[in-house]
Amino acid sequence: MHSILSRINNTSAFFSSCMMALLAAISITSYMFFPNEATGDISISSLKVVASNARRYPNKKQDLAFVNFNITADLSPIFHWNTKQVFVYLQAEYTNSQGTNNEVVIWDRIIRRKEDAFVKFVGKNKYMFRDVSSSFKNAKPANYSLKFNVMPYVGVLTYGEAARTTEEVEFPAAKSRI
Amino acid sequence: MSSFLQEIPEGKIDFVAQDNVDFFAKLGLAMVTFTGFVFGIIFQDLRVSFGILGGGTVILALLLLPPWPMHNSHPVKWLPVKKEKES
Repeated sequence: MHSILSRINNTSAFFSSCMMALLAAISITSYMFFPNEATGDISISSLKVVASNARRYPNKKQDLAFVNFNITADLSPIFHWNTKQVFVYLQAEYTNSQGTNNEVVIWDRIIRRKEDAFVKFVGKNKYMFRDVSSSFKNAKPANYSLKFNVMPYVGVLTYGEAARTTEEVEFPAAKSRI
Repeated sequence: MSSFLQEIPEGKIDFVAQDNVDFFAKLGLAMVTFTGFVFGIIFQDLRVSFGILGGGTVILALLLLPPWPMHNSHPVKWLPVKKEKES
């Protein structure tokens, strides 16, 4: 501690320890004491399956599902001092004809502010909803759930579920046009 | 003259001040961290936490790091030079 350089060295070393302790305290307390709970409601108003031409393969048919849904969810409880943004997504969960469990994200939204945390959305799927086996024939009825991923400034990513359809929605037979 | 110029970047302080600087730097930084955390929770804002930590660190650094006169107020008292016996 005799020269200015050794004082800077000592103090900045202890400062970095303090910074680490503060970051650890923030991440641990926000992980332990702030619950990731949000409530909401989903209803699927219509579901259509259309057999269309697959991209790049002119003779192959590919089923596309068109989902219309209403979402209302209040995500404001998960906004606290350590929440940077929330990624909220609608996920279709079903078992296809080959017996594979699928989870397909068909709609999402990024919420950056608490003022935008009340989600009210009426519309259709944002991303193409198709099956790997290229057909929804014999697929089990699907559940739709609204999930969210909380991204904190400091700490671990956490996941949660805000809403889920009360009844499973069956895939209708594929039509040739909408 | 050259030794005076060398001492400016070196910034020597006396032994008592070295002990004090070490103690107050650790105590001050720990307290600033704790207050930053508490006020961050109260105001629910991370900027408050890191503002208190950063501001407190700058103030502590300005007080403790440069060789202020108060860090040189306990000079080492050397024993008086013995007079050699005349033989």
